[in-house]
Amino acid sequence: MSPLNSNSPLNSNLLLYARSRALPMTIAVLVAAAPATAWCADWLLTRSDPGPRARLPVLVLAPVLVAAAIGVGLYSHGDELDRTAVRPWWPRRGWHLLLLTALAAGLLAVAVPGEPQAYGAAAMARNVLGAVGVTALGAALIGARLSWLPMLVHTSAVFLAGQAEPGGSGAVWAWSVQPGAQRAAWGTAVALFAAGTCLYALRGARPEGPGSRR
Amino acid sequence: MTSAVSVHSVSIHGLTVRHRRTTALDAVDLSFGTGVHGLLGPNGAGKTSLIRVLATVAPPTAGRVELLGGDISAPTHRTSVRRRLGYLPQEFGYYPGFTVREFVAYMAWLKEVPRAKAPAAVERAVARVGLADRIDAKVRTLSGGMVRRAGIAQAIVNDPELLLLDEPTAGLDPEQRVDFRALLRELGRTATVIVSTHLVEDVAAACSEVTVIGGGRVAYRGTPHALAALAAEAGAEDFGDNPIERGYAVALRHHRSGLGGSAGWGAGR
Repeated sequence: MSPLNSNSPLNSNLLLYARSRALPMTIAVLVAAAPATAWCADWLLTRSDPGPRARLPVLVLAPVLVAAAIGVGLYSHGDELDRTAVRPWWPRRGWHLLLLTALAAGLLAVAVPGEPQAYGAAAMARNVLGAVGVTALGAALIGARLSWLPMLVHTSAVFLAGQAEPGGSGAVWAWSVQPGAQRAAWGTAVALFAAGTCLYALRGARPEGPGSRR
Repeated sequence: MTSAVSVHSVSIHGLTVRHRRTTALDAVDLSFGTGVHGLLGPNGAGKTSLIRVLATVAPPTAGRVELLGGDISAPTHRTSVRRRLGYLPQEFGYYPGFTVREFVAYMAWLKEVPRAKAPAAVERAVARVGLADRIDAKVRTLSGGMVRRAGIAQAIVNDPELLLLDEPTAGLDPEQRVDFRALLRELGRTATVIVSTHLVEDVAAACSEVTVIGGGRVAYRGTPHALAALAAEAGAEDFGDNPIERGYAVALRHHRSGLGGSAGWGAGR
């Protein structure tokens, strides 16, 4: 019954790592998010007057939610013991984030097909990159459990500012509401993803919970 | 294995650890060889800071730390040390949903116990702390003392040459403590075991040497017998219920009154 009794210790070790970071739960959330996103996007298009930005709320909110799921999963329950690991952690942390981001971006992009120049798959992939980047920065700086907070604040600020005009300085800071082809928005999102992945890989989630001393 | 380089498996010089503005350890020189070493001292004396630096989980602010024959500031040697090191933190989190077997196996994987040997090493470590009958129970269903023993099991799963235990007997009942001391003595025959504790009975029963730390400095070093003898000669009948407790009080009193660090009180060695 125990996975450790199986004949493949390599796989059981990776399975233990996956379970230690709540990966089964995170992947389940990502997989469930795709059809839910597709359904919401379709529903927005069936309303009486679907404009070119009809799917924008889904494109902005779905990445925030999957990034939150990924970010909360970066919590390490046994940080003090994890630090005694023989190998450095950065490759494991880096792969962890890259693979989950690829899965999330792929699944969500497929959920909003078409309209590549406006609010479709490209904008969705960009928003997943940016949201995961901000969330990973949050995990490294304020801890995994509240890592979703900065991205939520940013999204709220963008909506409140009503900044959705393509181009200009808005394309840099309000990257999440830009059409898929805006280069400046892509630049911001990719830079955020790179920064978040590097910082999390190098430093890990900020210690919190029992035994953390800072 | 390391005897060619040094008789001491742990050797630290001028070790200083600061947390923001407070100084946890102040230019401490210490060395430890094979055997069980007790670390006594009041709360906040710097015991945990010392153990965390030796466990390579916290960097020293200043000073040189040599473990198992090399300086741990060199990444390649640090990697090699971590393979041969066991560490029980004062408080440790465990992953929800893990059984004792999975918890210890996860740590064996992090410590790079060879894959072929790992399942047997896990079962042996769990058996040595007396948890064999609960090996497939979830860690979160165990009592505090059992969680502590699971923590000890993960610390010894790689047969460490250097074993660091921060308050291992907290939460153990008297019978478990007796068993644990027997395990300590057994481990101390081949490994360097450093045990931080508040319980002087543990020191008296299991340790070959005792180090008292006070205010970030070494207040006393010697055998438990010599610490007990200290009480008699200084006449400290007003404190403690046994000679070691009285000796501990005398050592700390002398240390605080400014004698610590000078001749006779063993700060340097």
